[in-house]
Amino acid sequence: MSKHNPADIGGEPAGAIDTVDHGLKFWEKQANALRNTLTSGRIVRLDELRRAAEDLGLRYYRLDYFQRTTEALRNLLLEKGVFTRAELERKMDEVRERYDA
Amino acid sequence: MTPSAYAPALQRRFNVGDRVRVKAVHPPGHRRTPSYIRGKAGAIERVCGMFPNPEELAYGFDGEPKRVLYRVRFKQTDVWKSYSGPGGDWIELEIYEHWLDPA
Repeated sequence: MSKHNPADIGGEPAGAIDTVDHGLKFWEKQANALRNTLTSGRIVRLDELRRAAEDLGLRYYRLDYFQRTTEALRNLLLEKGVFTRAELERKMDEVRERYDA
Repeated sequence: MTPSAYAPALQRRFNVGDRVRVKAVHPPGHRRTPSYIRGKAGAIERVCGMFPNPEELAYGFDGEPKRVLYRVRFKQTDVWKSYSGPGGDWIELEIYEHWLDPA
C-alpha cells in the first residue's frame, strides 16, 4: 500500500501527546486572522489549504502547525496568482526594513 | 462561516442497511477516504446528503457534480486486526459514494 498523504495517519502509533497549552504567539494569531479572512472571502477554500499542506510532502512533518498552514497558504496564493514570488519578496524586504529585522 | 452546500440525495446508489465495501485503491491527489478503511466492508448507517466533491474543490474547481455522502458503520474487529476492545464496537466514517462498491 502506497501512502501519498502525510495527513493520512489513522492507525499509526501516535507517541506521547503534548497536553501543555503553549498559547498563541502574535504571528500565529495574525496567521489565523489572515487564513480566516481569505477563506471567508472565498479567495481560498479550506479544501485547497488542506491539499496545499499535504503537498508539502516531507516538509509537512518538519513544520509545526502554524508554519505548515502558513507555508501552505503562501504556496496556494502563489499558485492562484494572487501575488507573484517577486511581489512577495519585495513585501518581505519592506517589512524586514520596517522592523529593523 | 460559509453556508452549507448540502443538497438532498434524491438519486443515490445505496440505502440505509446496504452492505458496502470501500474501494481498495490508492490514487494520488487529495483524497478524503483514510487509507486504513480502504478495502474494508461495512453497512450504510445514514445518507448524509449531497455535497460538492472535496477532491475537486481541493484543486480550485467548483466540486460539481455534487457527490452523495454516507455515514458507514464498520465493526472495529474488521478494521483493526489487533483490536482488543469489546467485539461489538463500531467505527463510523463519512464516505463519498464514488469510494463505495456493493459488498
